[in-house]
Amino acid sequence: MNAVDLHRKLERNSGLLIFGILLVSAIGGLVQVLPSVLQDDLVTPGPGTQPYGPVELIGRDLYIREGCSTCHSQQVRPLLAEVKRYGPYSKAGESAYDRPFLWGSKRTGPDLHRIGGKYTDLWQRMHLLDPRSVVPDSIMPGYPWLAERAADADGSIQARMRALRRLGHPYTEAEIEAAPAALAGLAEVDALVAYLQSLRPPNAEATP
Amino acid sequence: MAELPSTFWSGWISVLTVGSLIGVFWLIYSIYFAAGGEEEEPSPVWDGNLREGEHPAPLWWFWLIFGSLVISVIYLMLYPGLGAFRGALNWSQGGEISQRLERYQTEFGPLRRLVAEAQLDTLREDAKLMASAQRIYDRNCAVCHGYEAQGQANLFPNLADAAWQWGGEPAQVEHSIRHGRQAVMVGWEAALGEQAIDQLTDYTLALGNGTAAGHPAEGQYMQFCAACHGADGSGNPQLGAPNLTDDASLYGQSAAAIRQSIAQGRNGEMPAFGERLDDTQIRLLVAWLTRPTTPE
Ligand code: HEC
Ligand code: HEC
Ligand code: HEC
Repeated sequence: MNAVDLHRKLERNSGLLIFGILLVSAIGGLVQVLPSVLQDDLVTPGPGTQPYGPVELIGRDLYIREGCSTCHSQQVRPLLAEVKRYGPYSKAGESAYDRPFLWGSKRTGPDLHRIGGKYTDLWQRMHLLDPRSVVPDSIMPGYPWLAERAADADGSIQARMRALRRLGHPYTEAEIEAAPAALAGLAEVDALVAYLQSLRPPNAEATP
Repeated sequence: MAELPSTFWSGWISVLTVGSLIGVFWLIYSIYFAAGGEEEEPSPVWDGNLREGEHPAPLWWFWLIFGSLVISVIYLMLYPGLGAFRGALNWSQGGEISQRLERYQTEFGPLRRLVAEAQLDTLREDAKLMASAQRIYDRNCAVCHGYEAQGQANLFPNLADAAWQWGGEPAQVEHSIRHGRQAVMVGWEAALGEQAIDQLTDYTLALGNGTAAGHPAEGQYMQFCAACHGADGSGNPQLGAPNLTDDASLYGQSAAAIRQSIAQGRNGEMPAFGERLDDTQIRLLVAWLTRPTTPE
């Protein structure tokens, strides 16, 4: 058969045409996305990668709520300059417990995937509440309200952990029971700082 | 590096990819070289002479698509793309970066080792190296210690003056950078009561202007504070206990700041940079930070 004849048929039958368009536009996804989603080692945690504890989990949700990823990426690309500047490049398995992942693609500020331990909690706190108090010419917005609200004001941490457990995060019942106590008395900024401090290259030796 | 997909998905990717390439080729081939058979119902004529298919599609368009096809095929033969096939060049992203790091090591490794082992004075004489040191400082330290190393916010110490809490010898400064520092001074309000704190504050101020001898709080100072800050208040770099008699001060020289230090305690923390910076960078920082500053 001739492609031009086929095209004529398609052109004159809208049902077929819709089907053809869907088929052609799906090919990229079928080749690129589908196999990687089903490919085990891209979605199973890499060595040393642990699910977030309750405090870090709340911190991560705050990171999403405040839109930090509009200015900060969390992926060190496998390029010499990036590895020299930030540390070991990011691997797929490190994001297994990130739902959704926060790789980002916009770098108004620096990458944060290896920020844990670079600064102290005190500095992180001052910088989040008022960036200009430590970086005089910073263009990052301040987030003063983070100090005013309780980290888990609506008491939803257990529900959040249960939801993630359904998706396969290995939280034990005891961990979920203990979660509210871990958050008691913490302000939002404390949780966000704890999350930032947890962003380190996974320690492969520490896994059982 | 991520493992390659299983046999099924490998086949799936290859078949879809090759299939699409063949499909595109078939389409352009049909358009240019195998004009369609007779139409059952010919295209209508508009405006007197305008018909569909009246002119052939432009030739540059054919070459554009054909060229892209050829490039795609060559690419898929050289690089990973067709399922589990690694490509003739055996290229991988992980391999690429380790190669680059290796090349970086061979190119700069000896020079960097030389710098890491050189005399500090030699390093200080080299303006270019000192400029690098300052850049390393700007990128890693300035957000706490200030752009001029002048200290910041009465929380992050001045590194440009001659006063060093943890010692100003190169080995001590290197230790501060490589392993970080955790200062521990407990608060005394609960143990000694408000009045004693007021007196000790006054005593500390007196230490600062050399009038401490015979002060009513001298006994208390000797009992509670001298073990760390020294009987004469000159401090102890082993413990990070600052000199209380000089002009330099980390948390501020006002009576209120001093009172807070004594009452509530202080726990200044300097993060460890031994894993973030390499030996060369640390050596450069030490040379730069301990350079003889303006004569005192
Ligand atoms: C408008 C863009 C913008 C937004 C939004 C933003 N940042 Fe930043 N961030 C910056 C810039 C620019 C810098 C570099 C200057 C500085 O250190 O303040 C920075 C620096 C940082 C640093 C220090 C990084 C380093 O290596 O020195 C951290 C940590 C950080 N931001 C966290 C956050 C968090 C958490 C949020 C969300 C609550 C956030 N940022 C939102 C622009 C932004
Ligand atoms: C998160 C903020 C922070 C960063 C970043 C930081 N420092 Fe510090 N640094 C401190 C604090 C706070 C102290 C004081 C610790 C104490 O109270 O004893 C300190 C102490 C020091 C000291 C000891 C000072 C003395 O008087 O003995 C040196 C040396 C030093 N820092 C060098 C550096 C260098 C070099 C860098 C960059 C590689 C750096 N610091 C990055 C916060 C920081
Ligand atoms: C266990 C040792 C120790 C003892 C005992 C101790 N200090 Fe300190 N002191 C320190 C250290 C370490 C620091 C530095 C804290 C920091 O850098 O965060 C410090 C800091 C201070 C400062 C702030 C100095 C500045 O530069 O801002 C004052 C004032 C002070 N001490 C007074 C006292 C007085 C008065 C007493 C007795 C009641 C006392 N200290 C007992 C270890 C001690």
